[in-house]
Amino acid sequence: MYKYSEKDKSIIESRTKQFKNQVQRRLNGQLSEEEFKPLRLMNGLYLQLHAYMLRVAIPYGELSSSQLRKLAFIAEKFDRGYGHFTTRQNIQFNWPKLPDVPDILHELSKVEMHAIQTSGNCIRNISSDHLAGITIDEIEDPRPWCEIIRQWSTFHPEFSFLPRKFKIAVIGSKKDRAAMLVHDIGLRLIKKDKEIGFEVFVGGGQGRTPIIAKKIKNFLQKKDLLNYLEAILNTYNQEGRRDNIYKARIKILVKELGIEKFKLLVDENFKKLSDKNLEIDKVSIDKIFSFFTLPELKPNSHKVQIHKNKEYNEWVTQNTLSHKVSGYSIVHISLKSANHPPGDISSQQMMALSKISEDFSFSEIRVTHEQNLILPHVENKNIYKLWIELKKLSLATPNIGLISDTICCPGMDYCALATARSIPISQKISNHFKSFSDQKILGDLKIKISGCINACGHHHVGNIGILGLDRNGQEFYQITLGGSAKEDASIGEIVGPSFPESKLIDAINTILNTYKKNKKKKTEDFLSVFRRVGIKEFKKDLYDNT
Amino acid sequence: MAKKLRGEFFILSANDLRTGEVVFLTEKGWSVNSSEATIIKIDQVDKFQAISDRDEKKCIIVSSKFVELDENRKIKSLRDKIRNSGLTFKI
Repeated sequence: MYKYSEKDKSIIESRTKQFKNQVQRRLNGQLSEEEFKPLRLMNGLYLQLHAYMLRVAIPYGELSSSQLRKLAFIAEKFDRGYGHFTTRQNIQFNWPKLPDVPDILHELSKVEMHAIQTSGNCIRNISSDHLAGITIDEIEDPRPWCEIIRQWSTFHPEFSFLPRKFKIAVIGSKKDRAAMLVHDIGLRLIKKDKEIGFEVFVGGGQGRTPIIAKKIKNFLQKKDLLNYLEAILNTYNQEGRRDNIYKARIKILVKELGIEKFKLLVDENFKKLSDKNLEIDKVSIDKIFSFFTLPELKPNSHKVQIHKNKEYNEWVTQNTLSHKVSGYSIVHISLKSANHPPGDISSQQMMALSKISEDFSFSEIRVTHEQNLILPHVENKNIYKLWIELKKLSLATPNIGLISDTICCPGMDYCALATARSIPISQKISNHFKSFSDQKILGDLKIKISGCINACGHHHVGNIGILGLDRNGQEFYQITLGGSAKEDASIGEIVGPSFPESKLIDAINTILNTYKKNKKKKTEDFLSVFRRVGIKEFKKDLYDNT
Repeated sequence: MAKKLRGEFFILSANDLRTGEVVFLTEKGWSVNSSEATIIKIDQVDKFQAISDRDEKKCIIVSSKFVELDENRKIKSLRDKIRNSGLTFKI
């Protein structure tokens, strides 16, 4: 795991002191809200529906046990005893008081965390594959590259006031577990003629104009990564629209210019930058990579234990994966138990999980963009013991990748922008489909719920997407089908008129029945059936009898 | 703010600058209890806007807004109802 340098530490400490002074000036009336707002947003502090909300970055989803313990402490001392993991590997605290925020940031800095660039029109938290460095299918660990980009982009003077926010994801496998193709820039490590470099994608995104990113570069040498990113960002900064917030993201620029024209502009900028000292040398790369070595795992032949306990077996089947080192497993911890707000975790759970990670997983925890957690290195011989511990904490729900493992934004219960609630919908779904055997029959199925068109709940790329709308003061829910955030990314199609909350579960049941009756073999998942039979079949079943 | 308002009756709401809590203007000042809020007619909006501006300057509140009431003098929109009553699910 990356450890802050003295420079990193001094940057964070000075920013914390600076913000403390700004808060004081705001409370004394020396700064108006208009003057203070951009300053607080630069430090991840929003004012939401009920209260302030602080968004803390978890770069590329990696947490240490001491960091998780600190988050538990903050939730307990400064908030209401819980935190919320977001869809971009951040955590949000929903009830901090303004005078406490500098103290929270100070506490975070003690464990090398911060809230910088979690808001505003800048380069946001770099996200990655939650299985980075631990799966066999990986070309190379993407985390060091995320860290290199994090260091380059933090407080980058040219990119602090971009036309709009800017999100980058880096993955190291063919499999996309980070929704890379719906990011402003997506980077995938690939191997070409024995050399590892990057495939570069640009202009993906969700919101009101969902677009799958286009490939702009087939192969980018590692040494050129920062120069090329700088060339893309420069092009966006120069050409991107600032007159209309809804047309300001890079995806609109790429769409309007066309990928070929955009690529030409980027290449011109890239040439201009070629003499700029952003080339990364091998020594610097190796230094960053040295932070991301595996803990001392001892390969062994232990298999995951089988047990008479049905509940345990269900959980093992659904929530564990093989580690690249034999004798170890990757354990998913679902934050989607029935009736539970997706992504929420209490301070007691965080505290206990911190200790569990020390006992079972070399003090490491991962945060997924699907709002779950991971213990990355668990010895197979300890899996049953771990399950017992997780079960005591209500953290052993066996539903990873199943219908009740919904992604969900905070919606109108928290968010000032939302047009409808999303958490109660997610709770209804998880409660309705809580039987493990029923969920297994449905197989892999991603339901993603957003409370407004900004799509923080990723509804566009849900196999079943649900978008909350306000229709004359009433909450309605529009359903999209066929979306995917994986390597075969696609934007879901609107199935038809929206449904009131009272009819939504029935509508989902109808959709699932259409899937089941069209399924050709047991293993054919929802997305495959949808892509084979098309939306008409689903539409007919949903609307023809109404 | 007043130009965009629809409806006849309102209460004035904001967030407490220090705590972020949702507050409502009452005869005795700002309170977390909306049932005590002063009911404002559309033609009184400018007067109350001035009070809001004053209290924003005094660093008491932030992000003030007029909340529309229905014919029963209850908060009309779902968003404002949630803002007043809190989360609609158990944590």
